Amino acid sequence: MTCKEFQRVLPELEGGHNLEQEQHLKTCSACADLFSDLNAIEQNARRLEDHEPSPRVWTNIEAALRQEGLIRQPQPQLVPTRLPAPRWRFAWLVPIAAGLVFGAGLLVMHWQVSTQIAHQTRTTTPPVENAGITQPSSVPASEDQVIKLVATRAPSMRASYESNFRAVEAYIHDAELAARNNPNDEISQQHLTNAYEQRAMVYEMAMHRALP
Amino acid sequence: MYRRNRIAGLIIAMLLLASVVAAAENRKEFRFRVHRHASISVINQFGPISVKPSSGHEVLITAILHSDKAEIDSSHSGSRVSVSTHLLAGADPDSGLVEYEVSVPADASVSLRSATGPIRAEKLHGDVILEGNTANMDVRDLSDGHVHIKTLDGPVTLTNVSDGHVEITSVGGEVNLISVTGPLVHVNSNSGRIVYVGDFGGGGEYSLMTHTGDIEATAPAYASMDVLASSSQGKVINDFPLQPVHTSLVERAGSAFAGTMGKAASSVKLLSFSGKIHLKKR
Repeated sequence: MTCKEFQRVLPELEGGHNLEQEQHLKTCSACADLFSDLNAIEQNARRLEDHEPSPRVWTNIEAALRQEGLIRQPQPQLVPTRLPAPRWRFAWLVPIAAGLVFGAGLLVMHWQVSTQIAHQTRTTTPPVENAGITQPSSVPASEDQVIKLVATRAPSMRASYESNFRAVEAYIHDAELAARNNPNDEISQQHLTNAYEQRAMVYEMAMHRALP
Repeated sequence: MYRRNRIAGLIIAMLLLASVVAAAENRKEFRFRVHRHASISVINQFGPISVKPSSGHEVLITAILHSDKAEIDSSHSGSRVSVSTHLLAGADPDSGLVEYEVSVPADASVSLRSATGPIRAEKLHGDVILEGNTANMDVRDLSDGHVHIKTLDGPVTLTNVSDGHVEITSVGGEVNLISVTGPLVHVNSNSGRIVYVGDFGGGGEYSLMTHTGDIEATAPAYASMDVLASSSQGKVINDFPLQPVHTSLVERAGSAFAGTMGKAASSVKLLSFSGKIHLKKR
């Protein structure tokens, strides 16, 4: 059997092949490769039948054809020969959407609580002028509560924490003023970040159960 | 005869004294077998913590208690070791004093907390985290690991630390950096003074910032850096002949300056609200 004869009957070999054809496959590597490639294409084609292009694909094709002038009149939107994807295929999006909404709700709540706490920590007493650096005359109420907690656990540390909170609040006050006067100044913003970082550190150390 | 009785009496007295001292000081030892990159935590309210490297894969912790008003709690899980002092009712800074000596594999990460300290760590390659109220903190000969330090009023000294991130936050404690280089060196201080002696090497980002504390940085003439220094209400002094750079910073004589030295490999920011800043040439 020649290669020409084999390739002529190749499309018919799906159901199997006879002894002569099998012998040719064994002796001819080119025809064997061709037979193997056709088999692979056939296998993959079966899988592609389950893959349905999204409607956007057809819309893009329509737009391209219209651009090239191949579509002269408005045409109804092309629809694939297959039926639209059943709704249940997108059901998996529902829990994800619900999760996103829930997470967004948590974020909003957290922001609101944080805002309330930040508002409560503002001192109500007027600042005291001191050589150009204004200092709050006392620590905010929440820090006062922390100091009282420290005093119950380690009375010897109370004065130290009071002093540290006072120093940190002074820094925050100066940094906030500078940032307000120079909103675009990176240095002022960095000072403000540092000041808040210091306050967070003092809070954390005061509240840490293992340290006085 | 009289002499023999006298010697015997002295020996008995010494033995009694030794037993009293032994009763007063209670020594406990803990050994833990760990794998590479172990994590060790020591929390001690009152007293020193000293950490050194050990050979092998063992963590050895020796705790000396000064009274029965303190206990040692320990836990070990895989390569995580945690030891903490548990103070009993009636404990105070004297009776609650515990001294820790810790040996860890050099690649271990350590976290040490002590209110009064001192805290000391040396010759380690893992991450080091220190926290204290008034504890004197001394860190030396570290490389490759990150160093994080938090202190309220305790002085901090870093010597020969390289190739890792260094982040220090201090309210009133003075911070001394001697031969400290790395990709990131960041000191955030309130009233504590910052002293840096080194070459700002390694092409890193150096940021030394205070509210009211002074900043004194000493570098060699060959230092390669891009410098920005500013004090809103304090004095600024520069000993280097800097090449001018284009910056949004308004250079004010005596209050701010900016410029480069050499190839400007490292970024150096010396910023204070009202402290004095001095960039010295060695």
